[in-house]
Amino acid sequence: MKMNTLESEDSKSSDFSSTDEISLLVIILDTNPGQRILRDNPRTLTQCVDSVIAFANSHLMQKSQNKLVVMACHSKTSEFIYPNSDKPLDVRQVDGQYEIFTLVERTIKRNLAKMIAAESTALCNESLLAGAISMALCYIHRIQKTKPVGCKLNSRILVVTGSGDSAFQYMSYMNVFFTAQKQNVVIDVCALDQHLSLLQQGCDITSGLYLKIPQLQGLLQYLLWVFLPEPPIRPKLVLPPPVKVDYRAACFCHREMVDVGYVCSVCLSIFCKFSPICTTCHTVFKIPGPLAVKSKKKKMKL
Amino acid sequence: MVDEEDPREYRWETGYEKTWEAIKEDEEGFLEASVADIVQRAKRKRQAQKQKNTKLGMMRHLFLIVDCSESMSNQDLKPTRLYCTIKLLELFIEEFFDQNPISQLGIIIMQNKRADRISELSGNPRKHVKAIAGLNRTSLLGEPSLQNGLNMALKSLKLLPSHASREVLVIIGSLTTCDPTDINVTIDAMKAEGVRCSIVGLAAEVHICKQLASETNGTYNVVLDDSHYKDLLFQHVEPPPAAFCLESSLIKMGFPHQMVTEGTDEPLTMCMCHVDSVDEGSKLTTGGYYCPQCCSKYCELPVECRVCGLTLVSAPHLARSYHHLFPVGGYKEREFNNQVSSCYACQKVFGETEKQVYCCLKCEKIFCIDCDIFIHDTLHTCPGCATNSSVLQHKAA
Repeated sequence: MKMNTLESEDSKSSDFSSTDEISLLVIILDTNPGQRILRDNPRTLTQCVDSVIAFANSHLMQKSQNKLVVMACHSKTSEFIYPNSDKPLDVRQVDGQYEIFTLVERTIKRNLAKMIAAESTALCNESLLAGAISMALCYIHRIQKTKPVGCKLNSRILVVTGSGDSAFQYMSYMNVFFTAQKQNVVIDVCALDQHLSLLQQGCDITSGLYLKIPQLQGLLQYLLWVFLPEPPIRPKLVLPPPVKVDYRAACFCHREMVDVGYVCSVCLSIFCKFSPICTTCHTVFKIPGPLAVKSKKKKMKL
Repeated sequence: MVDEEDPREYRWETGYEKTWEAIKEDEEGFLEASVADIVQRAKRKRQAQKQKNTKLGMMRHLFLIVDCSESMSNQDLKPTRLYCTIKLLELFIEEFFDQNPISQLGIIIMQNKRADRISELSGNPRKHVKAIAGLNRTSLLGEPSLQNGLNMALKSLKLLPSHASREVLVIIGSLTTCDPTDINVTIDAMKAEGVRCSIVGLAAEVHICKQLASETNGTYNVVLDDSHYKDLLFQHVEPPPAAFCLESSLIKMGFPHQMVTEGTDEPLTMCMCHVDSVDEGSKLTTGGYYCPQCCSKYCELPVECRVCGLTLVSAPHLARSYHHLFPVGGYKEREFNNQVSSCYACQKVFGETEKQVYCCLKCEKIFCIDCDIFIHDTLHTCPGCATNSSVLQHKAA
């Protein structure tokens, strides 16, 4: 395969070409029925699942050491749907296909069906992706701890989602992004429907890729072209140019983006105007210096 | 505030309480499992000590005062006290700025009865690490002067605005200090200015250090070995509770963004951070952050604008500090009796070896001990609560 020849040629990152390397890919698939693309056409889910399975199998095909974990982020819960937590399915070879591929497909579909059947009817628009990523990070942390001595684990997380992100998960998002950065876990995001500004920041922090796909029909192609190559190879490929990330802060009082704001020294809440009491931690502030200077000037004029 | 003496004053009085009884052999006669157990228990205990909802001094201004006197050449820490200190301080500085992104640090060395500032108070970790690494080549001379070191730190810390948390961390290997005048006057001055002085001793306990620490609400510890040294040092990474005289105020800050106009490249400009530096000059580059007030450019954040004095930060810098203020609640230890088959977060299957599992009080999910420690030390988000919309919404409300 082309990828593998590229790897062995890569002399700069010499440790990358060693065989004792495991690439762990955690795919988080948003299966929340509340997201717009699924509400409009529930069959989209089948297409997404099929694409993700094909993509997952391609990852496994690249190297025998490659590891795969698939999680489903549903409206109420997040679950690991591959590998099975209890005993694996008994799979025989079908049509000459590699058994693992059949195992991946069957396990994912069966667990997903179980999950959807157990779902209550109440719809919830927001998918709790931050929670799913935090579970993935705990999983990666365990694998990292239990891996055999001398082998290297490269882990990354791919989030495939069609729902939006909202500010009420902001803190969880930031915590998982910084943890991922610390643990050298790359977070890639494939947005199916809406632009996700928070997850985009996460990609930037962990030096992953963010792509909002132009059309859903080509999902598998985008996945294979953009997200299949390992992060060390990516600089050698021509990928969609990085988008400039807006790191401006939203003020806590009006939720508007601010250029210059006031920050509470106790709880670090951001406000767009000066107020005497912090609404988050109820601290009373002293009147700032500049106001006092102004009054003095007036007196001098009199 | 030294109203009472610390009840367990000396280690030989209370510290050793039949420590061998805590270690038990497992079925095969190995000790490792039991030792690992003790280590994890100690970690959990430290987490439990973290108080919730205390006012913290988030904008820290810390001066590291490092002893570079003759006593630092002692080889009781391998290879030498100084070398060990340099290596640990490099790690400490990285971790400090990782956890306290809007804080500032400065470094002073005490040598031959003098104090030298080798790094000004600033928020750039690379500069400090470079300064610390450079200590390798200094010759270790004479005696240190604690008073001179403290005075130099105080001179800079005095000028800071009242909302800043002022701290001094002294690393001293010497058992003596050679001071020009009465050091008690300096200690009183530190106390009056609300400077928190903590000391890590490398040799043995010294009365004046203990007095300095207790008067200024700091901590004083003496290291046992290099791993204990690291532990003691890293205790200072977490922001301390705010000093009582710390005023709270709203601080004006700028949130710069990159200057992008659709379809065109960014203009070539020079940055303000390198404009007058000698070793690496300012280059014409495209990227960078522009001060929203005066439009001067900086290569990295956080920084204080040199032109208009505005503090420039990015939103994630602030967000990185939020976990100190809103920590995850402690998990409750439960006996394992097959409540669940695996850990909620990492999917580890609970087997025979598991005796205790840990339960979040809010979402009632069960975790293993490794996840418990990982969640509280690094992640700062409970995976159970974050995947449960009702708990999350309840928390947000």
